[in-house]
Amino acid sequence: MLRMTQIEYLARESVAGFHRRKLTTGVTILIMSSALMVLALFVLVALNLGLALERARSNVDVRVFLVEGLDEQRMAGLQPTFVSIPGVSTARFISKDMALEELRLELGDDADVLDTLEENPLPASYHLELSSGYRSAAKVDQVASDLELWPEVEDVVFSRAWVGALESWNEIFRYGSFAVSLIVLIAAVFVISNTVRLTMASSRRLIEIQMLVGATDSFIRTPFLMEGMLHGLLAGMLAMGILGFGQRLLAAKLAGLEFFATSQIVGFILFCVVLGLLGSLTAIGKYLRLRRVS
Amino acid sequence: MKSVSQPSQGPLDPRSIIGFYHVNLRYRDQTALENVSFSISNGEFVCITGPSGAGKSSVLRLITMDLFPTKGQVIVRGMVSTKMKRSKIPMLRREIGFVFQDFRLLDDRSVYDNVAFAQLVVGVPGHQIKRNVTRLLTQVGLWNKRDRLPQQLSGGEQQRVAIARAMVNSPKILLADEPTGNLDPVTAQEIIDLLFRINDSGTCVIFSTHDHEIVKTFGQRVMVVKDGTLFSDEQRRVPDRDSAPRLTDKMYNPEGT
Repeated sequence: MLRMTQIEYLARESVAGFHRRKLTTGVTILIMSSALMVLALFVLVALNLGLALERARSNVDVRVFLVEGLDEQRMAGLQPTFVSIPGVSTARFISKDMALEELRLELGDDADVLDTLEENPLPASYHLELSSGYRSAAKVDQVASDLELWPEVEDVVFSRAWVGALESWNEIFRYGSFAVSLIVLIAAVFVISNTVRLTMASSRRLIEIQMLVGATDSFIRTPFLMEGMLHGLLAGMLAMGILGFGQRLLAAKLAGLEFFATSQIVGFILFCVVLGLLGSLTAIGKYLRLRRVS
Repeated sequence: MKSVSQPSQGPLDPRSIIGFYHVNLRYRDQTALENVSFSISNGEFVCITGPSGAGKSSVLRLITMDLFPTKGQVIVRGMVSTKMKRSKIPMLRREIGFVFQDFRLLDDRSVYDNVAFAQLVVGVPGHQIKRNVTRLLTQVGLWNKRDRLPQQLSGGEQQRVAIARAMVNSPKILLADEPTGNLDPVTAQEIIDLLFRINDSGTCVIFSTHDHEIVKTFGQRVMVVKDGTLFSDEQRRVPDRDSAPRLTDKMYNPEGT
């Protein structure tokens, strides 16, 4: 158990590096926050691409046109068969009359042209909605090509062209941003690790004496871990602050684009704290492994 | 006159506080110590001497388990080097005070804080820290300089601060590696007197020096380390310190010319 005097001491030592080297600390936080900002931007773009894709997918629907000449009862009887297809969540039957009525509504004032028709040329159809797991381009293709084989089916129409495009963009971006993020993360950890190592080097005597008089490893380590986490916290907050400010400035031009939710901002900053911890751990690892006094 | 305990008979002697048992130590390709065996009892005052680089510091660092023997065993206060867990080393260090030739004080804090630091990091409660530091600084005669920074003190005073820091956790063993190496004879005398006082209160004191004058004058038990081996280990008569010669009695001439 730590005593009050020890907690006070650890708190003081944790910010000692900040006091001693204001410039290094400032530069570290700036470099790290720039790196993190790049990372956050990538996440933001990925987030928006994902949302766009989700929106596009939710609009995916499949119209199945039935062959002429089936009797009404047979056509209505297909409903349970459609729903039983994996991936189809709802199937709505649209009879020839209903189709005509829909068209009439769509035409509005020009609807009287329909009165000249001798018979209803519109086919009966089913409007299928797919469940969320089946809205990708590949799955839609598969459902459609299966349906085309049915004898009752004349044609299958669906709008998937832009789902496919969005999907491939999303894919490319995912791999690209993964590579960039990895580099950025390594850079951020490295920068923090270097700064903590500087603090440790300037605290060599302090560490040595702590070892000598019997301080435990965790006690010796704590201030350095805290310093790294504090760097991560400040850099994360700065990166989010700048991004948020930029988003507000460009809000008009970026209408429709999503910014991070509060929980995501908090999550991102916590992630930065973990990066800071990781940076200090790599710095400390080598230093304290050997319990050498002199 | 103080009663002095007899040297113990071997590493397994129940009175022994430190035991070396056929210790070999190699640094990379060099042999630092070879087949060194001895034991030291509670409350002894031991002087380890020998030329620079002979292995004196290695012996001290083996005692603090800063180094571990390549072969053989070191037993300190019942803790055995070959079975020592890394996490237990801090507990051992709390029972050993260490003083260096170059004092190793923290330059950015006061005399008081330097001594208090040793108590703080091992988790002594605040009110006890104040009491212990006050007691120690009074004993070494530096209470009135408690607010000074180390650089504002003389070498001898800095070494007294270092001794106060080493003793504040009430260790059973005080190790001093060339504690008088940077000091003039008058000051060296003061430091040695202080070490004797510490020994009088029951702490086992082991100090290393290559200074023949000190060995001749103060050695009770003198161990000579030469080329990594224990060349000799002799128990001398217990000096009567009131009539013993002092370093300051004659012109001090460390080169012996």
